[in-house]
Amino acid sequence: MSVGGKPWLQSHWDWHVALNFLTGGSGSGLLVVAALGALAGYPLTVPTWVGLLLVAVGLAQVSLHLGRPLRALSVLRNPRTSWMAREAYVAAPLLAGAGLAALLHSTLLGAVTGLLAAAFLYCQARILKEARGIPAWREPRLLPLILATGLAEGTALYLLIVIAVGPAGAQFSSAVLLLGALVLRYATWRGYRSALRGQAPRAALRVLERAEAPFAGAGHVAPLLLLAVAAGVPSAQAPLAALAALAALLAGWGLKFAIVTRAGYNQGFAITHTPARGAGTGGLGSKPGW
Amino acid sequence: MTRYVMVADLERCVGCQTCTAACKHTNATAPGVQWRRVLDMEVGEYPDVRRAFVPVGCMHCADPPCMHVCPSTATGQRADGLVTIDYDLCIGCTYCAVACPYQARYMVEEPNQAYAKGRMRHERQREESERRGVAQKCTFCIDRIDYGHAHGLTPGIDPAATPACVNACIASALQFGDIEDPQSNVSQLLATHEHFRMHEELGTDPGFYYLWEGR
Amino acid sequence: MTTSDGGTVKKVPTYCYQCVAGPDLLTVKVVDGVATEVEPNFAAAEVTPSAGKVCVKAFGLVQKLYNPNRILTPMKRTNPKKGKDQDPGFVPISWDEALDTIAERLKAVQAKGPNDSSGYPRIAASFGGGGTPTYYMGTLPAFLSSIGPIDFGFGSGQGVKCYHSEHLYGELWHRAFTVAPDTPNTDYILSFGYNIEASGGVCGVKRHADARARGVKRVQIEPHLSVTGACSAEWVPIRPKTDAAFMFGLLHVMLHEQRKRLDIPFLKQRTTSPYLVAPNGFFLRDPATRKPLIYCLERKRAVPFDTADADPALEGTFKVSGIEIGADDDAWEHRLEKVQPAFQKLLDHTSEYTPLWAGRICDVPHKVIRRLALEFLDHARVGETVEIEGRELPYRPVSIVLGKTVNNGWGGFDCCWARTLMACLVGALEVPGGTLGTTVRLNRPANDRALSVKPHPDGFMDYPMNPTDKAGWLAKPDVRNANRTLIPLVANSPWSQALGPTHLAWMQQQKAPEHWPQATPPDIWFVYRTNPAISFWDTDQITAVLAKFPFTVCFALTRDETNHFADILLPDRTDLEGLQLIRVGGTKFIEQFWDYQGFALRQPVVEGQGDARDFTWIATELARRSGVLDKYVGAINRGAAGVPLKGEHYDFSLPPDETPTVEAVWDASCRAASAELTEGAEDQGLDWYREHGFRLAPFPRVKWYLYAAIEDAGLRFELPYQERLMRIGKQLGRRLHEHGISWWDEQLEEYDPLPEYKHYPEMWEKALERNFKVDMRDYPFWAVTARSMQYAWGGNAGIQVMREVAENVGGHGGVVLNAGKAAELGLADGDLVEVRSPLNATRGRVVTRQGIRPDTVLMIGQFDHWATPFAKDLKLPSLNKLVPMLIDLTDSTGSGADLTRVRLTRVEDRR
Ligand SMILES: Nc1nc2c(c(=O)[nH]1)N[C@H]1C(S)=C(S)[C@@H](COP(=O)(O)OP(=O)(O)OC[C@H]3O[C@@H](n4cnc5c(=O)[nH]c(N)nc54)[C@H](O)[C@@H]3O)O[C@H]1N2
Ligand SMILES: Nc1nc2c(c(=O)[nH]1)N[C@H]1C(S)=C(S)[C@@H](COP(=O)(O)OP(=O)(O)OC[C@H]3O[C@@H](n4cnc5c(=O)[nH]c(N)nc54)[C@H](O)[C@@H]3O)O[C@H]1N2
Ligand code: SF4
Ligand code: SF4
Ligand code: SF4
Ligand code: SF4
Ligand code: SF4
Ligand SMILES: [Mo]
Repeated sequence: MSVGGKPWLQSHWDWHVALNFLTGGSGSGLLVVAALGALAGYPLTVPTWVGLLLVAVGLAQVSLHLGRPLRALSVLRNPRTSWMAREAYVAAPLLAGAGLAALLHSTLLGAVTGLLAAAFLYCQARILKEARGIPAWREPRLLPLILATGLAEGTALYLLIVIAVGPAGAQFSSAVLLLGALVLRYATWRGYRSALRGQAPRAALRVLERAEAPFAGAGHVAPLLLLAVAAGVPSAQAPLAALAALAALLAGWGLKFAIVTRAGYNQGFAITHTPARGAGTGGLGSKPGW
Repeated sequence: MTRYVMVADLERCVGCQTCTAACKHTNATAPGVQWRRVLDMEVGEYPDVRRAFVPVGCMHCADPPCMHVCPSTATGQRADGLVTIDYDLCIGCTYCAVACPYQARYMVEEPNQAYAKGRMRHERQREESERRGVAQKCTFCIDRIDYGHAHGLTPGIDPAATPACVNACIASALQFGDIEDPQSNVSQLLATHEHFRMHEELGTDPGFYYLWEGR
Repeated sequence: MTTSDGGTVKKVPTYCYQCVAGPDLLTVKVVDGVATEVEPNFAAAEVTPSAGKVCVKAFGLVQKLYNPNRILTPMKRTNPKKGKDQDPGFVPISWDEALDTIAERLKAVQAKGPNDSSGYPRIAASFGGGGTPTYYMGTLPAFLSSIGPIDFGFGSGQGVKCYHSEHLYGELWHRAFTVAPDTPNTDYILSFGYNIEASGGVCGVKRHADARARGVKRVQIEPHLSVTGACSAEWVPIRPKTDAAFMFGLLHVMLHEQRKRLDIPFLKQRTTSPYLVAPNGFFLRDPATRKPLIYCLERKRAVPFDTADADPALEGTFKVSGIEIGADDDAWEHRLEKVQPAFQKLLDHTSEYTPLWAGRICDVPHKVIRRLALEFLDHARVGETVEIEGRELPYRPVSIVLGKTVNNGWGGFDCCWARTLMACLVGALEVPGGTLGTTVRLNRPANDRALSVKPHPDGFMDYPMNPTDKAGWLAKPDVRNANRTLIPLVANSPWSQALGPTHLAWMQQQKAPEHWPQATPPDIWFVYRTNPAISFWDTDQITAVLAKFPFTVCFALTRDETNHFADILLPDRTDLEGLQLIRVGGTKFIEQFWDYQGFALRQPVVEGQGDARDFTWIATELARRSGVLDKYVGAINRGAAGVPLKGEHYDFSLPPDETPTVEAVWDASCRAASAELTEGAEDQGLDWYREHGFRLAPFPRVKWYLYAAIEDAGLRFELPYQERLMRIGKQLGRRLHEHGISWWDEQLEEYDPLPEYKHYPEMWEKALERNFKVDMRDYPFWAVTARSMQYAWGGNAGIQVMREVAENVGGHGGVVLNAGKAAELGLADGDLVEVRSPLNATRGRVVTRQGIRPDTVLMIGQFDHWATPFAKDLKLPSLNKLVPMLIDLTDSTGSGADLTRVRLTRVEDRR
């Protein structure tokens, strides 16, 4: 804690919680894409199993690291206002739906799961936005970024899967989808950063500043180039596309990890005036760290 | 209608931390946990420097983000403005802690122990084990207030019904009372002093006022 | 009361006297026999200046009580080798073994005779800061007084390091050990490093907070922006040790630019300003009566100072006759000599001390100095009066106060003099709103300032100087710090030894100065609540000396740096475990001004921990086993426990032939106390005090103001001209020189009738260069120290909660450095630096602040513990390793200052 009221890095949500945003985001993103794929007539079993697994892992992480894990079910008590509760409400049918869809190879169930997954992803984005104590999280423009990167990661995973287990026919369309998702993601990221200017402690802004290069480079420029090359070099298409997908995925994870664990500076303290002392007069206030 | 608020007179506060320590005694909080603490802020540059001591803690916001995000309804709000935590409902997700713009909430797992060598008798006497692994923060000394109501005492006036940090403050910088009652000590202070609330722009409507100059 | 789960809850009243700003009353909540919470004593809210509250330090008492690091059985040393690096090998022993071992030694000493070959007491005892241990050590004083002469001269800095010069000049001019503003009534306070918000305890903080609410203007003049500077209307960052110049600048403005606005009647009637000064610098006196003469403007001739309805001249030069009496009764006769009133001398003396001159020395804009002088005058309300309890007194709501390092060490005399003189100039001395003394210590009676006002033939207050005349001078020191031999002003009260130049006692253990007996270590040394190994200067030298003491008995809370050298450790019952009745109320330092006086009880709120014993039990057993029980009980009966057990209306004396129980002693004291307060009408005993905690009777507020007593006695304040000090200084010089002693000559120079400004910062620089063969340019920073509200010296540094809450306040646990300067040096918060003085080095983490001079570094408190559990793990820096003990840096009152020059080097980047 700080003597002078400067914001400090929140320590309540560590990497366990962050992980839920990583895997849960990618997993739900993947389930959305899988649903689209299914509607386009591609098999949904493998991507659905993977998506389910990722979402489950994320949820397991958080619930195991609650202060009182045994009371985990109480998370359901306040859907009225809490997006964490709502996430839990969506999570149950999502997991069930996904499981069934995968088992029964049901496109319809897959589609429903896709909708639930989208809702789940939205809940995750809202959870961060409602954390009003953390300026870098509460910024409304974080919402589209979380959605966009979730979809991008999902698409990347989907591409990896179809490269690995087919059908080859889905490769091109998912690669195109990935391109679109990445463009969207970068746009939302820029939007988020410009909106946050002056709206968060300097330390938090520095963290995001430092994230720019790797995120833009490894997460966007590299995949785009790789996909472009892949388009030109049929012989090395698969490995190059896979590499592009992997880069897009890891960059998304890296960014969310940074936002949750490293840009998570709290509000800090501020005074609008320093007090008069006896015959003295009041003076300027201060908002240290901003 | 009643809304209890805290008033801190920055002109009086000397940063002595007696309130901090008094709260730790009254509530047997763990080492490092300070429901009340007093910041030491420096403003300006040498030689034009000012130094202010700023008591902080839970502001018992009228529109408390911590409550809205709480998935378990453990965090609640009373008609008299106190923001409460039901330790038996809390699942320890610390969502409230990241939702609070005043860094007012804590969560600790270990029992109180100030010295590595072993726990002291008073630490064992007051385990407060229901408070482990759940969110905790300043309660505005809710039990004292309720005791006061039960015995016809006025919170902020009668020591037995007044928060411990307020009782202990050696500079009478901290005052507590009902802001809805225009005759109350706090209403009078606010009427006669320039004041502000912290992070007002965030719209939490905090129940903690800072006096910075007499009117 | 019972708890919800059927347990029992008690609230036990007691007192806290952990620091000199006490005592303060509190209650402790005890649940099922376990102390859990400290609370204010709400029952005392109306009758105490603290409103029944206690400060943050009192909230450390529960952890102090149950601290797992406490020593809970007597122990003895098994490793005969003593040293910082030696493990003492303490092993538990029984109380019988411990006490008998000590008693044997005591008997042996009695047998050998109380004094050793050098004529020093074989028994020594040291107690800590500000005399507060007295309020915890029960009847130990009675025991000590019954085993013959004791050397109390080994100090820990209390005195020489704190308000030393203030203590002595305060007693001389204010009849008080320390000096304070009349905070509840003053409108303007000039504070030179008086760090009241850190050092003033509950009363200080409360009084000043209330004053701020009234709109008082306090200007804090000091090198760093302390918590007090923070709470002041204005902060003036002054160069260390230049305060005297600043105050002389203020005096210059008042005397040479604003003379008409001074309180002329006060100066004429209530000061020695009109006394005529003869050619050799002593007062011109009436040959017949030897009374000092003044020049009467009505009669146009010199008349004795006490001539009724004289209108004395303050200024001018007059041709008059009379005699002059100098040192050792040297006498001169003067026929129609040109003489001047003391006030005229003062005018001439201060004519060169302009704000411009002062500003350059202090590194403060001269405009600021002049403005403050004018503001002081603007607020003074010269001529106004106010009624206090039916008594009309001057009303002068302006005050001026000094803090540590300003009022001790070289320059302390100048500052104390200028301070009290500024009050005189506007008649604001010892009157409502003005500058007041607090507690009397060196004068008698010690419990009533007003009664201590005794007339001196020259028309001001008498003073119990140690004799400097041929017959009376104590040529052979009777204690190791030679207080009565070297320091006439220190008088000869029970407090005087501890107020000697206590570093001399330590230094001489290494090497005696010329023509001086080689000091011997004491055969037996008792230590309680003091830690010289941490608190004094040059702590490495101190520990080296401690290792040579043959037999050291330490009352021990935990292991610490001083009892590391002990032969026997005795665990005493601490604050919340012991039983004792003390006097409270009246006026006490630092700002304890009460409307009541009486008694308060400290009682066990829970049973004692382990085998710790009550102090009174220990003292009684020591007395019994060393065969002085009768003397011991006699001493208690005469009042050694705080109250005489026999008074004119009552007699609760204890039988001298019986071993009294602890309860018996304090029950008798309680009864005597009740009787004293009620002129024998009532005699409630211990049980009553256990229940109520305190008992008070009104204390007239007019007693806050010494002016009333001075006026009643028709006396004057002995200012501005220090004829008496000059005479004493000359005599002392002769005595010393007759014995071939010249190492005190610089100190003798300070006996000026009007202090000359000496360039004090240079004195430090030169002394360091001289003694350590260094170049000051290699030591670019001044290093200073300051109080912390959360700590009582280093005494509670082992208490976790104190450390925890102190961390919220900037500057703790580091080397505080100006932020701009740090950037310049490429230092950042948290960097580990070595702070090196010419003497030694210490290490700490950088704390950058805007509120400190770029040429100054600050190290709060004294926390470089290496043995005290918990504290020793904090690895904090301390000034005490760095400041040398030097005669050159000792002033004429025998005091020095916590000040040195240092340089910084980075050791490691922030963790
Ligand atoms: N909480 C608490 N209170 C205490 C004590 C304690 O240990 N803890 N100790 C008691 C005792 S024994 C004493 S002696 C008193 C001391 O009480 P104070 O003298 O009021 O306090 P300090 O902080 O020790 O020193 C006063 C100030 O002197 C400033 N200073 C240093 N050098 C100079 C200088 O050259 N010029 C000027 N103008 N200022 C300078 C420092 O910045 C510091 O802020 O406190 C008493 N009260
Ligand atoms: N650097 C620096 N040094 C200073 C000062 C400063 O401002 N800065 N101030 C100087 C001044 S003004 C003074 S007066 C001196 C005071 O200095 P000291 O008189 O030495 O005071 P403390 O350091 O508090 O030492 C108190 C000791 O008593 C022990 N103790 C505490 N409570 C109990 C108890 O209940 N029972 C027993 N048996 N022991 C107990 C503690 O463990 C500690 O070792 O310090 C001087 N030294
Ligand atoms: S006790 Fe009062 S004065 Fe001291 S820090 Fe707390 S609020 Fe400020
Ligand atoms: S201060 Fe924080 S914890 Fe307290 S009510 Fe407001 S948001 Fe909630
Ligand atoms: S930690 Fe407890 S109180 Fe806070 S949000 Fe979670 S359940 Fe609610
Ligand atoms: S109101 Fe009570 S709980 Fe809150 S800070 Fe004060 S003492 Fe602690
Ligand atoms: S000021 Fe604080 S520590 Fe000092 S005696 Fe009073 S309560 Fe105790
Ligand atoms: Mo002191």
